[in-house]
Amino acid sequence: MANQTQTATAPQSDAGAQKIQQLRELFADASDVGKRALENVIKELSSQVSEPPPPIESAGRVGARLGKRSELTMIVPLVPGGAKRLRTFLQLLGGNLSPGATKVGTLHDMRFVFIDNDTRLLFATSFDGDWDTYIDDFIALIPDYLDLMDSAWEGWPGIRDPGAKDYLVKHQITAEGWFVANPELTLAEIQRQNRVSKAVDELLDKIQ
Amino acid sequence: MATQTQTATAPKSELTATEKVQRLRELFSDAPEIGRTAVENVLHELKSQVSVAPAFRMESAGRAGSRQGKVSELTFIVPLAPGGAQRLRGFLELLDGDFNKADLVGTVHDMRFVFLENDTKLLFATAYDGDWDAYIDDFASKIPDYLDIISSAFEGWPGIRSPQVKDYFAKYQITAAGWYVANPDLTVVETRRLKRIGKAVDRFLDQISE
Repeated sequence: MANQTQTATAPQSDAGAQKIQQLRELFADASDVGKRALENVIKELSSQVSEPPPPIESAGRVGARLGKRSELTMIVPLVPGGAKRLRTFLQLLGGNLSPGATKVGTLHDMRFVFIDNDTRLLFATSFDGDWDTYIDDFIALIPDYLDLMDSAWEGWPGIRDPGAKDYLVKHQITAEGWFVANPELTLAEIQRQNRVSKAVDELLDKIQ
Repeated sequence: MATQTQTATAPKSELTATEKVQRLRELFSDAPEIGRTAVENVLHELKSQVSVAPAFRMESAGRAGSRQGKVSELTFIVPLAPGGAQRLRGFLELLDGDFNKADLVGTVHDMRFVFLENDTKLLFATAYDGDWDAYIDDFASKIPDYLDIISSAFEGWPGIRSPQVKDYFAKYQITAAGWYVANPDLTVVETRRLKRIGKAVDRFLDQISE
């Protein structure tokens, strides 16, 4: 691994300098704030570009992935009355979707945001692994919760419909920037380590 | 802020679980059939869920945004200045899409940049620890220049050092109506600590089994 990185670095630093130069040119017509900011960090940026972090990959059919963690971002049009129904459902749960969501063991976080005067919904989530598996998990584990919410969406075919995945793909927009603090940890791993840590605390308490 | 939420919640919580679920059912009477069937299928489970108070309720993250336990959400959609999308994309591509300077802030769980409507708008969505004000302050004090590089693509961006910067964020932020976090009690720092403990325990177990 170390060898590989070494070999890769040499040609990249030239390319790195070139990339930085391109960015500088691109920022020539930025606001003063933008231009100044770029000059302030240009040295640091150059060193990062010559030793790049693991790149963003595809989460599968659509979406971005960093390490083990993927993103899904969708904006869907709502049917008349859809926003009201979805809002009431969310309020009923105090905004906390844990009854259904905890069943999907790869789901880190998820938000529902009403935009454009309740005519559209932004849905954004962060999850482990591949797009197809994630959607399959929703279908297998919480099909009814999904249909309950998604029946607010215009043209939603139903999660059991063979067109459901195509519908999701059609409205999903892949992020072009994606950062995750702990990209190498899946939810299952975090939860396991949480248990290990509690056990260690108990052990230390007992032997003291 | 907390008092406001409390007062708003109080009358609602006087409804029984059955009444709440009944209300939802009525509301769904004009939903598409898929939605009506789905409500009937989960009715029983929902009723029991609603009757017990959840461990974490959604609260306000401060000036804007929602919070679940220790983890908050910030979602905003801003118009881009001419050429802004091109510059921001150039910057993100330079980093291979991974804006890892966010690590320096120490409270960022995840963060995404999504271009919308033919590159005329940007959706920025993040999950972070704690309060809105502290989060913006951390960005301003730890990575001001990176923030300005990115945000100079936004129309009317005053600069991170401007006293108007928080008003700018608040103006374009849209609070999530639903926010779920799998581990609402774990901050970024705590998750890292767990990782270290996990590794130490693995080594320990390896050694005693040798």
